[in-house]
Amino acid sequence: MKENKRKGLAGLLTSDRWSNVTVSVLAIILMLATSSVILLIMGKNPLTAFRSFLQGCGFLPKAKYGGGSGMLSDLFDYLNILAPMLLAAVAFIVAFKTGLFNIGISGQMLLSGFMATILVGYMKELSPWIAKPLVILIGIATGGLLGALIGFLKYKFNIHEVVSTIMVNYIISFTTGFFINTRYVDMLTRSSRICSTASRLTWTKVNIGGVNCNVPLGIVIAIIGAVLVKFIFDKTVFGFELKAVGTSRKCAGYIGVNVGRSIVLSMAFSGIFAGLAGVTYYLGYTNTMVPKTLPGMGYDSIAVALLGNSSPLGAIFASVIVTIFQSGANYMSSSIGVAKEIASLITGILLLFAACGEYMKILGRRKIEKEEDKKIAAMQEARVKGGADK
Amino acid sequence: MDEYIVEMRHITKRFPGIIANDDVSIGIRQGEVFALLGENGAGKSTLMSMLFGMYRPDLGEIYVRGEKVDFHSANDATAKNIGMVHQHFKLVDNYTIAENIVLGVEPMTRKLGFLPAVNMKEANREIEKLSKEYGLEVNPRNLIEDVPVSVRQRVEILKMLYRQAEIMIFDEPTAVLTPSEIEFLLKIIDSLRKAGKTIILITHKIEEIKQIADRCAILCRGKLVDVLDVNSASAQEMANMMVGREVDLVTHKSEPHIGKEVLNVQGLTVLDENKFPVVKDVSFCVRAGEIFAIAGVSGNGQTQIADAVCGLEEAAQGSITLNGQDITHTSIRKRAERGISYIPEDRQSTGTVMDFQLSENLALRRYGREPYSKKGILNFTKIRENAEELIDRYDIRCAQGPKTIMRSMSGGNQQKAIIGREIEEHSDLIIFVQPTRGLDIGAIEKIHNQILAERDRGAAILLISLELSEVMELADTIGVIFSGEMLKIAPASELTRNEVGRYMMGVKEA
Repeated sequence: MKENKRKGLAGLLTSDRWSNVTVSVLAIILMLATSSVILLIMGKNPLTAFRSFLQGCGFLPKAKYGGGSGMLSDLFDYLNILAPMLLAAVAFIVAFKTGLFNIGISGQMLLSGFMATILVGYMKELSPWIAKPLVILIGIATGGLLGALIGFLKYKFNIHEVVSTIMVNYIISFTTGFFINTRYVDMLTRSSRICSTASRLTWTKVNIGGVNCNVPLGIVIAIIGAVLVKFIFDKTVFGFELKAVGTSRKCAGYIGVNVGRSIVLSMAFSGIFAGLAGVTYYLGYTNTMVPKTLPGMGYDSIAVALLGNSSPLGAIFASVIVTIFQSGANYMSSSIGVAKEIASLITGILLLFAACGEYMKILGRRKIEKEEDKKIAAMQEARVKGGADK
Repeated sequence: MDEYIVEMRHITKRFPGIIANDDVSIGIRQGEVFALLGENGAGKSTLMSMLFGMYRPDLGEIYVRGEKVDFHSANDATAKNIGMVHQHFKLVDNYTIAENIVLGVEPMTRKLGFLPAVNMKEANREIEKLSKEYGLEVNPRNLIEDVPVSVRQRVEILKMLYRQAEIMIFDEPTAVLTPSEIEFLLKIIDSLRKAGKTIILITHKIEEIKQIADRCAILCRGKLVDVLDVNSASAQEMANMMVGREVDLVTHKSEPHIGKEVLNVQGLTVLDENKFPVVKDVSFCVRAGEIFAIAGVSGNGQTQIADAVCGLEEAAQGSITLNGQDITHTSIRKRAERGISYIPEDRQSTGTVMDFQLSENLALRRYGREPYSKKGILNFTKIRENAEELIDRYDIRCAQGPKTIMRSMSGGNQQKAIIGREIEEHSDLIIFVQPTRGLDIGAIEKIHNQILAERDRGAAILLISLELSEVMELADTIGVIFSGEMLKIAPASELTRNEVGRYMMGVKEA
């Protein structure tokens, strides 16, 4: 019985269809086990800790709620962080499938958020029906243009995208920081002034079932985006060519794909999603910008994309998991008294195990091979015996 | 009773999906050149990798000098004086030859009496001595990145000698060499034999075996067919055993029916990335129903001509006309649509996307057209049907049908897929660059027949090959290229093999 089960796991790890899912699930199980050990060493009950993470995200009810808030408001706050995280991960995947490493998602997010904030966020008299679409458009345009620039630099001058995006990240961080400090600063918080309610991609204080919720528009955009990217890469000629450029640039050129154009388009496409992540983050979640600070989410998203096996649907799953720890960290910290930095530690452990995925597959394969070898050995022995009998 | 230095008994090795070696037993005598002959995927390399400790046999035993061994790594094999030259060399590019050779077994010295340091002087001297002894002509002070492939191979041989290998395994050593380099290598192998070394030669080229080997084991699909004395068996017999059926070593070629001019190249000059001309003022034309072969030693600009014709390289000067239309500045895709098919030299990085499925690779020329896609949306049913048809028609062996990942297929089957894909376009011009490189006899025979069939259909064929015998066998017209210049263009019937060989070396007409 036990033998059967173990072979079943090995089979799942190696099968073409399931291995990506089983590896990720196994990574999560191992992460839970490891972080439990760490929490135990700290003298905390891991189950309570994990429960408080889930409570913080609105998946489980908290012990008590403040006036006007409830489980649903926590859940919507969670979705509010999930949206930019997913969009940023999708942005990374688009470039990654074309063989490009967009490490400039942070910069693209920051500039898009900045542009949308100063152009729309500070215009008080706009109606929300104009302001919100305008914010989205600015996000798309800024991110797209910035991405296209990176692609163009790569195509025209052969500047590696990792180098150019890192440099552009700093340029953006300091330039926007300069303008925020000199023109848009809120003297009290030292951040930029809060953007107008009309321009935010989150409807604040919507009353649902008696509790106030911040309903994010971004999560809808993010899920549509992920599905759209999946469709483009799986079903369209355009996506097929991008993938060809990503896996074998030489062969793509040989079959007549315009490689330069593909690189520019793919970076622009990636930038568009980063831009959308930027506006949902800065005009939905934070509503203000800390000068000279790149959003860490731009980097976390790379890890999320890789945990999701660089597939858009995988990214939905991965960002749901990772965001639980990030979004639930505050409540966990206040309820059981563990520093909230443990959330980053847990995310790190998760990624470590996700990165070991290939190794898990190899272990599974070895197990199966050994069993088959045993079978053959038995067969040969039988054959030899049979020969002796004759 | 034979005295064997190496004996492998009842070796069986399985990989997922295949049995690489099935109950193979061979014995190798001290001081002989023992050849392992077989098609790609027959299990030659796997068998030797087990002798070299890179794999462990699932079943069976290995004896070295009468003593049973169980190798866990290549180091164990090295300790028993076994060395191996792999198909892909394992060298550090920016190290000198001597540094590469001593890596791992460095001779040490103490500077100022106490500082440990590598004694490069000693190493250089030792290597120079070995090089002279076996006629290897290697300067230990050169950097690996500065020396050609043939020298790198000799560095690998020196590496074995330096480690005192007595049993030397060569895995397809001639696959990367030009004809004259092959001669040189065979001489080296001969001198190694004279020095008492035991040589195991993995190859699928029967000529080489005839030339150098004493005995030869023939493997077919993982099973040992026979062990022969090379002198007592004919090439035809060996070929039949290796392929497992009757093969034709002679190509049957009918008279060409030459039609109108299809490709005309005038004054073509191509520059490399340093703006140095690699193709200089080359003019030729290829007519329908004709095989125009460009002969030449590797690296004389022939691949650049092919790349320029299909659009991968830009023509710095000159013009290219296809069916009377100027295509000098037309895009790659437009040229393909107007009737150019191209089988590139590098089948793994240029001809295919290795991580894509076979079905996708077979659709690389057509995915943009109906019915394979409509309004930018791919039709995977049609793509799969297309693949099933080509797999069947071109006998492409793949473990999981259209879904097989290209990388997991053997080189011969990858090439079959590329050739099938390109031929199915029914183009007016088909360019073949090194179409049979690294393939075994059975596959070569098929490809040659396909090329001839396309010619007889009325296609113009531009064939670029480094194998002189292939050029002589197939060509209707031969152009010989040397250092980017077309030295001679003449009908194949007017040129002898020796004449072509002379032009290839750059000797102009007397």
